[in-house]
Amino acid sequence: MRSRLKKRDRKKVRIGGKSNSRSKGKVRDEKSVKLLYKYIRDKVNQLLEIMGTKPLREEELDEKSIIEFDPIGIIAESFKEILEHLREKNLQLQQARDYLQAVFDAVGVGISIVDKDLRIIKCNERQKELLVRDIKDIEGRHCYEVYCGIDSPPLICPAIETIERNREVFLKEVTKKGRIFQINTSPLRDRNGNITGVIEVSVDITDKKKTEEALYQAEKLAAVGRLAAGIAHELNNPLGNIIGYAKLLLQSGNLGDWEREKLSVIIEQAQKGSDIIRGLLEFSHQRPLELREVNINNSIERVLSSMESLFKIGNIRVKKEFNLIPPVMADEKQIEQVFYNIILNAVQALEGRSEGCIEINTMNLNSSVQVSIKDNGPGIPKEHLSLIFDPFFTTKPPGKGTGLGLSICSEIIKKHGGSIWVESRPGEGAVFNILLPLRMSLD
Amino acid sequence: MNNIILDIRGQICPACLLISLKELNNNRESIKKGEASLVVLTDHRDATRTIPNAVTAMGYSVNVEKKDGYYEITIKKER
Repeated sequence: MRSRLKKRDRKKVRIGGKSNSRSKGKVRDEKSVKLLYKYIRDKVNQLLEIMGTKPLREEELDEKSIIEFDPIGIIAESFKEILEHLREKNLQLQQARDYLQAVFDAVGVGISIVDKDLRIIKCNERQKELLVRDIKDIEGRHCYEVYCGIDSPPLICPAIETIERNREVFLKEVTKKGRIFQINTSPLRDRNGNITGVIEVSVDITDKKKTEEALYQAEKLAAVGRLAAGIAHELNNPLGNIIGYAKLLLQSGNLGDWEREKLSVIIEQAQKGSDIIRGLLEFSHQRPLELREVNINNSIERVLSSMESLFKIGNIRVKKEFNLIPPVMADEKQIEQVFYNIILNAVQALEGRSEGCIEINTMNLNSSVQVSIKDNGPGIPKEHLSLIFDPFFTTKPPGKGTGLGLSICSEIIKKHGGSIWVESRPGEGAVFNILLPLRMSLD
Repeated sequence: MNNIILDIRGQICPACLLISLKELNNNRESIKKGEASLVVLTDHRDATRTIPNAVTAMGYSVNVEKKDGYYEITIKKER
């Protein structure tokens, strides 16, 4: 193909030469050369225009030097360099964009960019996790629709405020889709400083709020505890006097049955008051732990044998599944009190049941020992589950419990660096789990 | 650093640009490596626009300084 074309070209040139006389041919050649020079000049000018400069003037570069100076070659070389430079810059931009995207997605807060009509332009992965979940194709949709789940902008909308006032807006607390957020909106501006949209940053503070509330509750309880302990101490003496004098009276012989009966009630009730006070003092007392290696299985056995009569009266079967467990660094007396309180609770929960059963299981879990105490009683209503370790919370009839037993347990286990929790559903009994670390950490 | 002086005073555009580009192309290696810089001396004001525009697009850094009756355009490796 190539050789055929070449042949034809040669032929053309020869034909052209043959068909004209010599002088005519010379004129024609000069004309062709002129046309060729014009063509080159035009192309050079076109390239110069692209380079942002003026066209060549005739006197600037004559026809001979336009070939010798080779402007097309010079510009071609420069273009080559421009292209190389652009390619390099493109690569750098691409890398920078990739880095930014990675940071954008990896940052722990939700970020969303919306335009002035509150339509989403872009949002990061965290924002999707927090607020989008099952919505697809969010770009181009209104942020209030996607993030707040409403059809029109809310009354208090930080993004609108940012657009209208051209300034940053901070919302301390706002609830969206069941979670609590801190929202910060700032204006997105173009090169001329005109606002083109809004950058919305959402920080999920749900867990932080919960912790704060728990802390507040704990502080409140601690204050109540301190107050109660103070009062309890002061009450102990008068109660002791009441009991003492009532007993003295009872011992004197000249009393009728009626008086004796009433005096017994006074003693009994004062004794109950005294019991409550002892519980309170135990709860509030920050007794240092007397740590030593304790075999938890033996501790539970001791507690169970001390409670044997209770099981007999309540017709309760005790099922034990004790595994081989390493000794735990603990205050034996206090730990036994925990088991006693929980088992006593189970016994009380099983009152009146014909087939009451308490199952106690111990096992070794890596660097901890877990004890589970399960009963087949009526279970704990869901709304009580979060309250049962609070001091003074009780479901027992007045006079039957102080509401301090489980809170004392929780306090003791916490002091040992362990944890205690309950699993229960109404009608399905309750399981109290205690996790004790083998070695307490130094702090 | 080696300064390559290109004195094109008296020349006007577009020749100024073409001559400067040619010189730049001829010394590309050493300028890109930062071993040399090209200093163009021109008294044509238009060149202080066309030359910087072209060479920055090619990835060089450029500095224009007004001297007594002419301009000094220094073309270096991009920082």
